[in-house]
Amino acid sequence: MSTPPRETIQKQIQQDWANREYIEVITGSIKKITDFLNSFDMSCRSRLATLNEKLTSLERKIDYLEACVTKGETLT
Amino acid sequence: MSVSEKVSLSDALSNVDVLDELTLPDEQPCIEAAPCSILYQANFDTNFEDRNGFVTGIAKYIEEATVHANLNELLEEGNAHAVMLYTWRCCSRAIPQPRSNEQPDRVHIYERTVQVLAPEVDKLLQFMYFQRKAIERFCGEVRRLCHAEKRRDFVSEAYLLTLGKFVNMFAVLDELKNMKSSVKNDYSTYRRAAQFLKVMSDSQSLQESQNLSMFLATQNKIRDTVKDALEKINGYEDLLADVVNICVHMFETKMYLTPSEKHMLVKVMGFGLFLMDSEVCNINRLDQKKKIRLDRIDRIFKNLEVVPLFGDMQIAPFNYIKRSKHYDPSKWPLSSSPNPPSPQADLMVHLPQIREEHQNYISELARYSNEVTTTFKEAGSDSENKTVTDLCLRGLQLLSSWCSVLTELCSWKLLHPTDHATNPRCPPDAEEYERATRYNYTSEEKFAMIEVIAMIKGLQVLMARMETVFCDAARRSIYAQLQDFVQLALRDPLRKAIKNKRDLIRSIIVSVRETCGDWARGCEPQQDPALKGKKDGEASFTIKVPRRNVGPSSTQLYMVRTQLEALISDKSGGRRTLRKDLDAGVLQHIETFHRQSFYWGYLLNLSDSLQKCCDLSQLWYREFYLEMTMGRKVNKCTVRHQHNEECNDLITMEKRIQFPIEMSMPWILTDHILRSKEPAMMEYVLYPLDLYNDSAQYALTVFKKQFLYDEVEAEVNLCFDQFVYKLSEQVYSHYKQLAASMVLDKRYRAECAARGASTAAGAGRYASLLRQRHVALLGRHVDLTALVAQRINADMHRALDTAVAKFEAGDITGVVELEGLIAVNRLCHKLLSRYLTLDEFEATLRESDHGVLAPYGRIAFHVFWELNYDFLPNYCYNAATDRFVKCRGIQFAAAVQRERPQQAGHALLWGSKQLTLAYSAQYAQYNGFVGGVHLHALVRLLGYQGVAMVVSELLGVARGLLHGTLAQFTRALQAVMPRHCKLPRYDYGSNGVLGYYHAQLTDIVQYPDARTELFHAFRELGNIILFCMLIEQALSQEEVTDLLHAAPFQNILPRPYTAEGEKPETKQKRLEAKYSALQIVTNVDKFGTAKQSQLAREGELLTRERLCCGLSLFGVVLRRLRAALQPPHWPAPAPAHAPPQPDDTNEFHRLWSALQFLYCIPVGDTQFTVEELFGEGLHWAGCTIIALLGQQRRFEALDFCYHILRVQRVDGKDEPVKGIPLKRMVDRIRRFQVLNSQIFSVLSRHIAADEERAGVEHVRCFPPPAAHHHAN
Repeated sequence: MSTPPRETIQKQIQQDWANREYIEVITGSIKKITDFLNSFDMSCRSRLATLNEKLTSLERKIDYLEACVTKGETLT
Repeated sequence: MSVSEKVSLSDALSNVDVLDELTLPDEQPCIEAAPCSILYQANFDTNFEDRNGFVTGIAKYIEEATVHANLNELLEEGNAHAVMLYTWRCCSRAIPQPRSNEQPDRVHIYERTVQVLAPEVDKLLQFMYFQRKAIERFCGEVRRLCHAEKRRDFVSEAYLLTLGKFVNMFAVLDELKNMKSSVKNDYSTYRRAAQFLKVMSDSQSLQESQNLSMFLATQNKIRDTVKDALEKINGYEDLLADVVNICVHMFETKMYLTPSEKHMLVKVMGFGLFLMDSEVCNINRLDQKKKIRLDRIDRIFKNLEVVPLFGDMQIAPFNYIKRSKHYDPSKWPLSSSPNPPSPQADLMVHLPQIREEHQNYISELARYSNEVTTTFKEAGSDSENKTVTDLCLRGLQLLSSWCSVLTELCSWKLLHPTDHATNPRCPPDAEEYERATRYNYTSEEKFAMIEVIAMIKGLQVLMARMETVFCDAARRSIYAQLQDFVQLALRDPLRKAIKNKRDLIRSIIVSVRETCGDWARGCEPQQDPALKGKKDGEASFTIKVPRRNVGPSSTQLYMVRTQLEALISDKSGGRRTLRKDLDAGVLQHIETFHRQSFYWGYLLNLSDSLQKCCDLSQLWYREFYLEMTMGRKVNKCTVRHQHNEECNDLITMEKRIQFPIEMSMPWILTDHILRSKEPAMMEYVLYPLDLYNDSAQYALTVFKKQFLYDEVEAEVNLCFDQFVYKLSEQVYSHYKQLAASMVLDKRYRAECAARGASTAAGAGRYASLLRQRHVALLGRHVDLTALVAQRINADMHRALDTAVAKFEAGDITGVVELEGLIAVNRLCHKLLSRYLTLDEFEATLRESDHGVLAPYGRIAFHVFWELNYDFLPNYCYNAATDRFVKCRGIQFAAAVQRERPQQAGHALLWGSKQLTLAYSAQYAQYNGFVGGVHLHALVRLLGYQGVAMVVSELLGVARGLLHGTLAQFTRALQAVMPRHCKLPRYDYGSNGVLGYYHAQLTDIVQYPDARTELFHAFRELGNIILFCMLIEQALSQEEVTDLLHAAPFQNILPRPYTAEGEKPETKQKRLEAKYSALQIVTNVDKFGTAKQSQLAREGELLTRERLCCGLSLFGVVLRRLRAALQPPHWPAPAPAHAPPQPDDTNEFHRLWSALQFLYCIPVGDTQFTVEELFGEGLHWAGCTIIALLGQQRRFEALDFCYHILRVQRVDGKDEPVKGIPLKRMVDRIRRFQVLNSQIFSVLSRHIAADEERAGVEHVRCFPPPAAHHHAN
């Protein structure tokens, strides 16, 4: 294997730096997207949990009122 | 967006940046370790795969890189084998063994055994081959490096470290192999089966099987093989000394990052010295020759007595030394003596420093993080980037050091289990693992561990949040430092080397520059004078170093560092070193660069480093202990006697595959917080639970074992259930105590506290725990708030249930306490509703009262029950105190049987023992009587519906009494009444009149049942009447209070005070205007919809229209009673055509006069008086009947007693008549007359009002004509 001239190698190494920088940028962006997805996930979970809680409490209220109104038999 | 659509890179990047601007609110306080659903880690470690790209580097190091790559692969393989051994669970115990040779399914069993175990055995075979290969390879490397020629050359740091890793690997594998007896058992099971089936037919496989069997059975096989092989190599000890020295150097200068790297260095020192010490070589002599420094190693071994070997296996590195041939305790003054104990054993020594470091670091981090989030910068300056990078590195090092403190403590504790003698809490028959974990930590130690874990996990979250910032800064900073160094700093030595014709130095520097230079123009500037060995000329030559956001690749970094090391190495085996040819300044510069760049690899791989620095997964793993105890619990003889040989045979084993959670570190810590209820620690409670996440992650990614993950999961399921259970119980009882002490009177509370019964609720910090809507556990997100709310809701129901049940178990006076209990529960509900969504309190109350489906609840039912069976028969009314009381000493009716209440915890009642005491003392005051307090409480609890029910039921009882007992007695007594009974003339004197009546009424006076039955019946009727009247009073007072409260909202204002000259109307108007904002109806009319305003009107109507505004409950009661007094149920004289004669005795009032005569007769001092026995209910009953029958006037005019009174007033006589003291009798008559007239006036007011309302009397009052003309 013949060694290519020094300049070519240096150019290649420089190209390698540039390529790797590009990869880092992409990786960094993916990382950012991941972070975003994670915090989006947390935020959604928290909001859904609140919503769930409200629905549950409404359901229980309906159960109670139904029991109050029907005296035994269910409305459904 | 369609796939074909092109998006430019910059657009894509700006799209990503925009994501940052979206606000994603998450309202939960962060008190748990980093929760993440997606973990993204990019790994750019190529393991020297790209080495051939750097042909410009020095060939020797590229070759070395190839060797490194191979060795790394071997190390990885070795690690896989270590995992295999560590996680090996015994299979043979589960495999059935043929019991005899005649067993028919014997062949089948053996076949299946071979089938099941073959893949496992194959792993063992691979392991044996591997260790052979690895030892061969290792010794080959050592032999190559120890070659006489080679020995003079310098061996790079990375190379030595890799050899050190091999030494470590051998130590680990050897210990694991020794420890795992189950491996040997499994293999022998397999071998037995295989031999039976003749699976291994050829001689080669038989030989291999024999080898494997020997290999597994021989203790320390690997260690001894390595040692034997090394001893054959000439001069190996020098190389190993280098390895040990580099480990000492790196340990002392903290050139490591993760705790496992630190521990590896120590293990290499120990095992390395053990390998060196042999027949040919004596480490003590090496120490004398200064080839190694035993004193420094001694200190290290003392500071770190025990290091984790693998998982929960520990090793004391000093033990290697002790086992070596030339062990000389005098050389090891510190390690060989047991005192003082190693600092590693005491966490409390380290805690203050850790706290301070944590404090300082997070403040700095917070300052910086604020700066980053508030200002947007494309890229900071070089110095800024360097600061951030240093900050990041410091954070990693802190995390790692805290983690090592913790793991080292646990290792020490595992190797030094406690026993009953040292720790009395530890039972004598505690298990091995229990003694190493559960009883091995003091309370302070546990708290300290929790705190350190919290610091580690907390800081990890903070650093992970800033990871992109850190990464960015680190890449930029490293790039800048590297390029500045290569392109600028190395120019000078290069120039000098060229000038002085130092070819070796020149070639090294050139190769460094060419390996990693990133030149602005693509290649090295040829016109640089330095390349020709000349000084920079007049026209100063400048190099512009570019800036990029990328670090060097792993191979590049290795090349640069190793080549620079060659320059500065002070060892070259006899030849002169290159250091001499370099300037001192340059040398220092290079050394600094070399030292700093050590950490670059970690920084460039930040995400991975961060995780490794915070990994506490090994706190859970206990494969070593499971193997040791074979999962058995030893149940020793428990009979109390002198234990002897015989009872040792009684030892039974309990087979388990895991330890119970009480011995598991994460749960021990979690439970410790819950148990101690320490408010300062409460917010840390989720951090110890996070250890399970670490362990599960480790099981999945490193051990790659499903069963371990399953076991972690099972434990988490169990622990989390317990956690939620305990937490909610605690939260509930805390808020219950809080509510109860808030409701308690302040001065009473102070008094209690002064007497040593503190009723104050302890501090509790549950607020942020109660807002955890997504707790990350093993990839699941648990809504802790909802779970706790669910449990507390149930507690709420149970508490109210208990309150009602407690009331049901007592008499009617308990109603006050019931109301108090409900009030405390209501306040507790209110306090908790700030954090949790609970069912509405009133709904819960009605449900507990069973009042949702039934028309009346348990409370109303019990009230009526008590009234009927206890109150009416047993109580007597006393107008002076306005109370009903029981007659002292006499029980009129049969004792009432009530259900015994079930025992309830303090939390369900008043919160705590002290509070229960305080409240019971308070409510004990309300026992024994029924008065206004009780009636008010009754009215408030029962409401209109309940009161109506109770009253109508009571009316039923009254009717029963009138038509039953009373009618009967009336008939009977009227029969014995004298036909005529006149009012004797005054001439007879009062004594004569009394004598007359006494003679006339002698049958009545001597009627035996009068006092025992008749009066009681009247008293009960009177009680009913009084109860109805009093309950209406209470109801009206409550209503008035309500109305007054509502008044300001209904535009009803009190009449304002007006000074003279002021017009009340204007003042009233002003007030109305002032409070107009309060008036609901007008405001809703103005701002609301039609529907709303209609609702508001209806609501207002309900508030305003009350019973007391014109309706009378008591009036209705009287009317109903009157209806009951009609014939034929009530004995009335047959209507006669002639007008009634005053002397006739057939009307009821005549009978009552007779009875009044009876009870006016004074009794002796020792007898019960009538008042004591019957109270005023008696009079109320009689007077009510008389009034309702319309006989009041006749009664007052014709009554016998009144007549005696009138006569006595005139003659004033006082002499006993037939044993009756006249004066005392008359006094009694007077008292009863007053009482009777009071009763009549009350009744007549109600009757009159009722009749007026009923339209019986329509009397229209005409005002006198106004004289208009006079006014004019």
